[in-house]
Amino acid sequence: MAASWLATQGRLPLAFMLLGLGWLGVATAMLALSPGVLALSHAAPAVVALTHAWVLGVFVSVATGAIYQIAPVALGTTLWRERLGWWHFALQSISIPGMVYAFSRWDMATLGLFASPFALGIGLFAINTWKTVRNSGRHDAVAWSLQLAALWLLLTVVVGLVAAANRLWTFLPFDPITVLRAHAHLGLGGFFLTLLQGVTFRLVPMFTLGDVPDWRPVRSGLWLSQFGLISLAPALLLQWNLLASASAVLVLAGMLSSGHAFRRTLATRKKRALDPGLRAFLAGCGALLLAPILGLLLLWPASPWGSGGGGFGAMPYAVALLVGGLLPVIVGMLCKVIPFLTWMIAYGPKVGRVPTPSAGALTAPRLEAWALSLQGSAVVPLFIGAWTQEPWLLSLGACLLAAGVMLFVYHAGLVLRHLWAPRIPASAAPPSP
Amino acid sequence: MITTDLNPATLWQALRAIPDPEFGVSIVDLGLIYSVECTPDLVQVVMTLTTSSCPSGGWIHEGVRAAVEQFAGSREVQVDLVFEPAWTTDRLSAEARRVLGGDETQ
Ligand code: HEM
Repeated sequence: MAASWLATQGRLPLAFMLLGLGWLGVATAMLALSPGVLALSHAAPAVVALTHAWVLGVFVSVATGAIYQIAPVALGTTLWRERLGWWHFALQSISIPGMVYAFSRWDMATLGLFASPFALGIGLFAINTWKTVRNSGRHDAVAWSLQLAALWLLLTVVVGLVAAANRLWTFLPFDPITVLRAHAHLGLGGFFLTLLQGVTFRLVPMFTLGDVPDWRPVRSGLWLSQFGLISLAPALLLQWNLLASASAVLVLAGMLSSGHAFRRTLATRKKRALDPGLRAFLAGCGALLLAPILGLLLLWPASPWGSGGGGFGAMPYAVALLVGGLLPVIVGMLCKVIPFLTWMIAYGPKVGRVPTPSAGALTAPRLEAWALSLQGSAVVPLFIGAWTQEPWLLSLGACLLAAGVMLFVYHAGLVLRHLWAPRIPASAAPPSP
Repeated sequence: MITTDLNPATLWQALRAIPDPEFGVSIVDLGLIYSVECTPDLVQVVMTLTTSSCPSGGWIHEGVRAAVEQFAGSREVQVDLVFEPAWTTDRLSAEARRVLGGDETQ
């Protein structure tokens, strides 16, 4: 492996991580400045703007950056075209602010202007992912999850563009809210869930010195969810509740199968202690299991739980899914990826020449744990606040989240400082007998 | 450092100073170094990685070469990265198990 090739590794994913980190600050500030938006209808412009700041700015940026890092590693190959990745980065960086602004003004023409380059970037990302998988010649669950996740993301973006155009010219024979639901589920279920159901089984064993004892539940988990997801979006669009319920049950069965495989995988680990990032990731994955169950409740609004307007509705559902599930998953990824990429760039070229620290030594685990706990403690007040439309609970949740995010960004800054001020330890390895 | 009479133990010691970036354990204690041999013309190290898809594997491989070159003098340095036999957790030293807390799984 040429040192020059190695030296370029990590820069592209790190750029995406920094983009995600920046948006984590911005999206949290948006919520902290007006927590009351969570008491509005989920389709209100301010809420749709906030949702896309979180989902596109934070979650999609980190997840796509992680794929640029993970796909070549997990598949034992190199990224097909790094340059395309940089184009994707540029397009994503310039388009998201404009999209969030356009959503907040409910200006669909401007949205189209900014969303088109975003969609182009996702198109480049999908091609890069597919070509990378193809060149690797792999056909395992991980390879499938990467390809399918890229496909779901592209589909989400296309449906998003159609939804925006439909708001402008009204040409679809469906209620726009059902289009919104189909689009949201394609993205949140299709892209993120599919990604997690494959890539987790390469990453977690790698970080914990474990093994996947049996790939069958991994495969069945992935495919069961895929079947559920394929029928879910059209069922939501056409308001076929029975089909949507059956789809949710399939997705849940797939998640349970993956969860079972995940538990067995974790049990094989040689590194017993889990660091804060991995714990947050696991907690988030566990919370995501609730999504199809809560979704089923929403499909049957006549249930005693009620639906919206101070009862259980789409807003608490979204809060549980995004703040309780996806946020810890994505932030947990950041906890692992940022120190590792920083190590690759700052210390990788120095290995064997001078003493080098481990990637974990760049972090402050207690500070990190505090940041993650504060973020976690925001979930309950935000969830109940969105459910009961109680302003003080929403303010409390937003404050806790903001405190956790501020600590987290500060901690990430401490890690990233090694990029321009590397510190060489006196003695690197623990003494051996 | 130019050495005419190179003892493999010196090289093992030098490699022991390289920590694995993920686990903070020396790559020798992780069991990544299969063999170190010195002849008057050649230093040959055979090593592996915990997984063939180890993202920092390239730097560890380069680092082993750099560490050995500091002692090799005029000898050629050959660092072979092999995945056969595959690394397993059986290769962890007692020290690595202690640091990783893996004893309880034995
Ligand atoms: C080109 C990119 C995108 C465009 C143009 C777009 C457009 C839209 C539009 C117009 C709505 C509101 C629909 C309506 O009320 O008629 C919406 C809602 C939503 N979108 Fe997107 N979207 C894009 C990307 C994404 C992605 C990638 C995701 C997730 C991975 C996503 C998740 C959501 C969610 C969760 C909602 C519901 C928001 C709420 O109810 O508050 N969007 N999107």
